[in-house]
Amino acid sequence: MTKSVASISEVTLPRVASEIPFYKPHGSEVELFEHAFSQQLPLLIKGPTGCGKTRFVTHMAARLKRPLYTVSCHDDLTATDLVGRHLINDSGTYWNDGPLTRAVREGGICYLDEVVEARKDTTVVLHPLTDDRRILPLERTGEILQAPPQFMLVVSYNPGYQNFLKGMKPSTRQRFVSLRFGFPQPELEQDVVIAETGIDPETAKLLVKLVSALRSLKAHDLEEVASTRLVVYAASLIKNGFAPVAACRAALVEALTDDEEIINALMEVVNACFGE
Amino acid sequence: MPELFVGKLWDRLIKRAVEHRVINTQVLFEDIVKPAGILFRALGGDAGLALKISQSTHHQGERSWLRRVARSEEKIELAWRDDEALYLPSSINLFPDASLNRELYFWLAALAVEIRDGSWFIENQQATARLLNKFPGLNARYQRLLHATLLCRPDIGSLSTDNAAQEEILRQALTMPGYKSLLPQAQYPWHPVHLWLHPSPPLSANTPSAPPARLKEFEQNENSKLVAQDQRKHKAERQDIQERKDGFMMFFRAESILSWAEYIKVNRPTDDDENEDAQRAADQMDVITVTRDGKSTASRIRFDLDLPPEESDDMPLEEGILLPEWHYKKNQLLTDHCRVQSMVAINATPSALPAHLTVTAQRIRRQFETLVSVRAWQKKQDEGAEIDMDAYVQHKVERQRGAFVANNGLFKTLYAQERNLSCLLLADISQSTDAYVNNNMRIIDVIRDSLFLFSEALFVTADQFGLYAFSSLRRDQVRFHVIKSFSEKYNDQVRGRINAIKPGYYTRMGAAIRHAGSLLSKQVSHQRILLLLTDGKPNDLDWYEGRYGIEDTRMALNEVRAQGIRPFCVTIDEKAGSYLPYLFGAGGFIVIHDPSQLPHKLLSLYTKIIP
Repeated sequence: MTKSVASISEVTLPRVASEIPFYKPHGSEVELFEHAFSQQLPLLIKGPTGCGKTRFVTHMAARLKRPLYTVSCHDDLTATDLVGRHLINDSGTYWNDGPLTRAVREGGICYLDEVVEARKDTTVVLHPLTDDRRILPLERTGEILQAPPQFMLVVSYNPGYQNFLKGMKPSTRQRFVSLRFGFPQPELEQDVVIAETGIDPETAKLLVKLVSALRSLKAHDLEEVASTRLVVYAASLIKNGFAPVAACRAALVEALTDDEEIINALMEVVNACFGE
Repeated sequence: MPELFVGKLWDRLIKRAVEHRVINTQVLFEDIVKPAGILFRALGGDAGLALKISQSTHHQGERSWLRRVARSEEKIELAWRDDEALYLPSSINLFPDASLNRELYFWLAALAVEIRDGSWFIENQQATARLLNKFPGLNARYQRLLHATLLCRPDIGSLSTDNAAQEEILRQALTMPGYKSLLPQAQYPWHPVHLWLHPSPPLSANTPSAPPARLKEFEQNENSKLVAQDQRKHKAERQDIQERKDGFMMFFRAESILSWAEYIKVNRPTDDDENEDAQRAADQMDVITVTRDGKSTASRIRFDLDLPPEESDDMPLEEGILLPEWHYKKNQLLTDHCRVQSMVAINATPSALPAHLTVTAQRIRRQFETLVSVRAWQKKQDEGAEIDMDAYVQHKVERQRGAFVANNGLFKTLYAQERNLSCLLLADISQSTDAYVNNNMRIIDVIRDSLFLFSEALFVTADQFGLYAFSSLRRDQVRFHVIKSFSEKYNDQVRGRINAIKPGYYTRMGAAIRHAGSLLSKQVSHQRILLLLTDGKPNDLDWYEGRYGIEDTRMALNEVRAQGIRPFCVTIDEKAGSYLPYLFGAGGFIVIHDPSQLPHKLLSLYTKIIP
């Protein structure tokens, strides 16, 4: 049941990215990240799904020329999945580093995506890493790793997520410098869509208008809001010659709900933007 | 009465002569209310507005001779918006094509987003222009609607000169919205413009000085037959109650049937009949006059009947807890506005589980036993946090012996179903729960069964839970019945209190939620759930109803959420879909259509929302 993170990352060891992925800043987040990195402060990014958190971290890792270890947290994730465990081979047992340990050893950036999904006891291993000690004790091997200055811990979570019963423990949250991400302003989001897909500005503008309209339905009619990622999907379909109304249905509307009545209603909103 | 019969027959014949629309192109309000609401909100409309059926209003435009004889189209339904709701026609049957009629609904909902205060003629054009500019996808739709509308408008040739000029300008304003600034006067008013909002929408009865009392004579009536039709909003005008010391006045003149429309507060406090004719008459009226005190005779009587004799009333536990209430118009929290009184039933005799529930309870207990949280090491796993030493040693030994053994099942993993939660069940036991759901059960009986089975289930899982019920009588008496507090054990005493719940009074939901939230926030649990069990909207005898009640409840829920509590609502109100998403969010409630299913639905819901 537990997916062994260690064994997967063994196959694809992160390297410093050769080119910097596209990222359009909303505000001063790039500077904040750079300062946090140089001051050796851990960073917490909160924001809705698909608003560019992961892209931002990837971009920053490439920019700072650090290898990036990304762990997508889930509720079966244990501390051993992060730190490492003993494995067995023919000659006996041996220790295998988890992604967090490896990032500490190499001085990379460890990014824990959706950290609240992980069990609460899991996040406790982060505590000694996130204060001034910056150490990672490996209980099972008796090692105590001192994190080098290049090591940085970044975690992210989605505050308004459905999983209302999980929250971050205050004792964990108060160890991070926090950065809040929202969906970009319409003009900015338009630029992102154009840069990602090469779609014409007029359609990009309409798409962003549509997605802002859909976002205003949050909490009342929809539980989730359409992300920038979905807008990019819709734009790439349209750019490839797919009919706009059908593209919006496939990439935006159907992704937001399963309720047929609401889908029909959302299609009215789509028609208000792309209707014929 | 033969005159009446002949009159009705004539009316039917002559109306049929002028109505040549096909009935099956009609689109009903009920069918579009949800999507139109979503469109309205998506395009930027206020999420707090409800969607309601508009009241038909008088129309005196120039009509053909036959139509005048038939008195047809005297009443028309147009759309408009005020600060309480968006009003749409009860049905649209204007065009010979159902899809166009449907599109007109959506168009009106979209236009209502853009409309601002100003001259009807100019503002409708500008709103149309703004809307088409913002949402270019609507252009094609507007052109279709425009084309069909122009076909329905009166022939210019058939109108008198000044009316023809007026009609010409109107047509131009519809075709090229935003350019015409003056509508010429004419002898007859213009033919109604169905693509635009109402030129002079019926006044909302909410003047800022007065509480938002709508026509309680109709709205508060708990008879579902009357309530069903009562989404309509009546054009109302306020009139100060006339103080007459002698009080002797002939209120009723038998020969004047029109007196219905003139003054509703007749001095007949015992006449409490639900007169169907009166309801119909009210529907057809343009203006209903209500007095400024906003209370109807009927509700005043109900108030008196509601009061139980003092000696059989439950015992108030303390002087009362003062809680705030949200006033959405003032946009402020009125501090110490409500007094919540915790009560405990004094005449509750300890009892066992009712016999008709024992079998169900047994089954439910068995089902819930599986939910008891355990945390244990599971051995012989293929993957896991630790090496399973027993398995590993055995594996080594087998290998040493030269046996071929596979490398699996050598780890152990901590398998845990952590659950640390407190759940507060808050039941609404207002007077309306006295209604029957089928031949032998009232809503209150279903609620009672739900409380029993819910307790049985949670007793097994060992989750912390509390049971409370509430009702209210104005803001100074929010009655909060303690059935089982968190610290109490579920025992015969508690069962006795469940048995003792009885319907009464009204539903001041905000205060009850606030108090429940404060009780729940004292619980030390990772997860806290507030389950609200209700059968209708928030309402109370004073101005706590309509949007005021909804907004206060919403504010209370937001406060509760801020304390880390997750509210969830289970309702049997069929119409709840119109306001619950605003309060609880799309996934935060369920509507149960068959109330007798409530106990089962409640439990299956519980298993879904716990982790």
